Amino acid sequence: MEASLREPSYRRAPDEPDLDLYTIPSHSSWFSWDDIHETEKLALKEFFDGSSISRTPRIYKEYRDFIINKYREEPSSRLTFTEIRKSLVGDVNLLHKVFAFLETWGLINFGATSDDDDLAEVEDGESSVIKIEEGVPNGIRVGAMPNSVKPISAPPVVEDSVIVNGSGFKLPPLTSYSDVFGDLLKQKILVCGNCGQLCGSRYHQCAKDDYSICENCFKDGKYGEKRLLEDFELKTTEFTEDRSSTGAVWTEAETLLLLESVLKHGDDWELVAQNVQTKTKLDCILKFVELPFGDSLLCSETQRNEVSGPNNNVTSEKETTDGPPETTEAPPNKQEIAGSEDQCTKDINEDEDGENQGPPKRQCTASIQDTSSSLMKQVALISSMVGPQIMAAASTASVTALCDENSYPKEIFDDQNFFVTNGLCSAASTTSNHEVERILNNEDSVAKERPQSGDIMAEDKDDIALILRVRAAIATALGAAAAHAKLLADQEEREMEYLLGIMIETQMKKMQRKIKHFEDLELIMETEYPVIEELEDELLMERVSVLQSAFDLGIPRWKDYPSVRS
Amino acid sequence: MKASASPHSKAPFKFRIPTAENLVPIRLDIEIDGQRFKDAFTWNPSDPDSEVVVFAKRTVKDLKLPPAFITQIAQSIQSQLTEFRSFEGQDMYTGEKIIPIKLDLRVNNTLIKDQFLWDLNNYESDPEEFSRTLCKDLGIDDPEVGPAIAVAIREQLYEIAVQNVASARESRMSKKGRRGFEHVPVSKTGGASVDLVKLFGHRSSVVRKRKDWDIYEPIVDLLSNEEVDALEAKEERTAR
Repeated sequence: MEASLREPSYRRAPDEPDLDLYTIPSHSSWFSWDDIHETEKLALKEFFDGSSISRTPRIYKEYRDFIINKYREEPSSRLTFTEIRKSLVGDVNLLHKVFAFLETWGLINFGATSDDDDLAEVEDGESSVIKIEEGVPNGIRVGAMPNSVKPISAPPVVEDSVIVNGSGFKLPPLTSYSDVFGDLLKQKILVCGNCGQLCGSRYHQCAKDDYSICENCFKDGKYGEKRLLEDFELKTTEFTEDRSSTGAVWTEAETLLLLESVLKHGDDWELVAQNVQTKTKLDCILKFVELPFGDSLLCSETQRNEVSGPNNNVTSEKETTDGPPETTEAPPNKQEIAGSEDQCTKDINEDEDGENQGPPKRQCTASIQDTSSSLMKQVALISSMVGPQIMAAASTASVTALCDENSYPKEIFDDQNFFVTNGLCSAASTTSNHEVERILNNEDSVAKERPQSGDIMAEDKDDIALILRVRAAIATALGAAAAHAKLLADQEEREMEYLLGIMIETQMKKMQRKIKHFEDLELIMETEYPVIEELEDELLMERVSVLQSAFDLGIPRWKDYPSVRS
Repeated sequence: MKASASPHSKAPFKFRIPTAENLVPIRLDIEIDGQRFKDAFTWNPSDPDSEVVVFAKRTVKDLKLPPAFITQIAQSIQSQLTEFRSFEGQDMYTGEKIIPIKLDLRVNNTLIKDQFLWDLNNYESDPEEFSRTLCKDLGIDDPEVGPAIAVAIREQLYEIAVQNVASARESRMSKKGRRGFEHVPVSKTGGASVDLVKLFGHRSSVVRKRKDWDIYEPIVDLLSNEEVDALEAKEERTAR
């Protein structure tokens, strides 16, 4: 309904600021300061029929401009006819007509006219109190005040609310946003920055700032402006049981308590967790792993056991022979369950459990196995990548190298060698892996068991063999890695050769093209050469004929010659 | 420049009140046996004269005046209408004529002073509409003020129209006598009329100078009852 016109006020109204925004009805959009529209000519014919000196288009325009400017000096109040007629020279009736015309079209008193009429009529009818109207109440006005920023600033405000509420809009990157809502986000009740709903227990927080979005928004990919998927990390609030958001935050007291309880209880995380109280078992483990010295603490524990190991070895020398038969039994089982390593290790555990009567310690060995198995997994991966034959070769090589180092454990590896040579090629790698694992398992279980169980003799039966086996396993892994590296290098080399070949070929093609091009050019030259020769001949002939004709005409030679020549 | 150059003066109008509606202002001031009746209103001259008596009777009845007033009122109206009709049919060379109209009247407790320009050639003018707007703009609530202003304007217009008729007759006579060459410009005969060229020439602006704004601005005063009484007493004295 309303149309805003941006009207330069020109010199007509010097007291008016430039480029004010006025609201006039859209049906009056024909209005222009510089022109008189047909509508005006039609409605106020008397100014345009040249009937009188007092009624000319110029005078009309002056009337009109003055009235409109007068109104716009104070658009909030209603302009009355009586007000303008004192300032304008001319027939009051004519002035009234112009005034009424402008008012009808909303160029003045827009938005207030009808209400005011009603009001005035009511007043006339009822009240006898004489009252001078000072324009309409401000609330009635529909049109905008020229200087007010409301119409300009209003849209952004609306937009803002839309942005906050609507899910389709993105938040504008206002710096003040985080200032304003930052505290809100930090509070327990988290509001999604995108959809404005409560985030619930799980939400994603942007690593850069405090901007958080709820899970739904995260899934939908609404990350907000300038935020990428990678920036967000999943956070959970305290309402969840398994993992608390405060789990990331460990107080110093808590950490100390954790360390103490680890030292006291070792790897029994349940006891540790009970000791720490405020944190769950998983939290404790994670925190312990995160600690820079966590590994070394555990290692030192195992090493301490290892160091203590050899002392007992003297007595258990003969029992080392008991170890190998055990290992020979294990592989067939494992081959059946090839693939899932966890199960393998469980098997091993079961085997061990059969030996070691330490039920309360079962879990701790299992957890250690978990951490150590990651290395084994890598080895297995490498070996599977390399291929069974190479793996087998690597393991044999490492074993022979070890055997060269010290001769006596040769017989220990005899069984293993038997396996490598005898067993299926495909199984060889896994066998070796499992062997290594087994070795480690044994070692761990031994290490853990020792401080508690009194039956030392039984545990240390194959202590020396274990150390050797560990070394063998490491050597195997290294060998496999080396083999794999060699393989990769070979592949790279081939790739490089191939690429080089392609490059040379392309260069050759390029050269050939160039040669062909030059050949073409030569051909063109050759064809053009006779043409030019012909032209030369022709020119020569012409010159001769011109000279001839000059002689015939009898023009002196000395006069004509240079001109011809040139 | 002669005002007769404008097309309006070439085609003279028959006499009438130069407004949209040809209404004759009637003013009554009748005193019988110490009772005084004053009124002012407009009358449509095309109405049958029988209406005059009906109107008089009704007014007397409404105002509970003595019956003697009926004839007096009717006579007064009739005579004023007759006077008006005596001018009808005569040519009126209004020409290019814009006259200032001055208002200075008191209606009950309201005192109004005003001045504005009126174009005698504008046959669309409407004093009633003008006075209505004026009252509305100034917030005058007394319902008697508007019509009083309108009548005041009409009286002045009527007076000027009569003058014009006279001047037209004069000029016609002079035309006859002096072969029409000594045509008296109408603007001169109008006396108070405005110099149009000076006002509407190309050089000057139609916007008044600021110092003149006060002159052309209406002034409204509300008088207390005592003041009104004092004023009335004064008027009585000056009238005698």
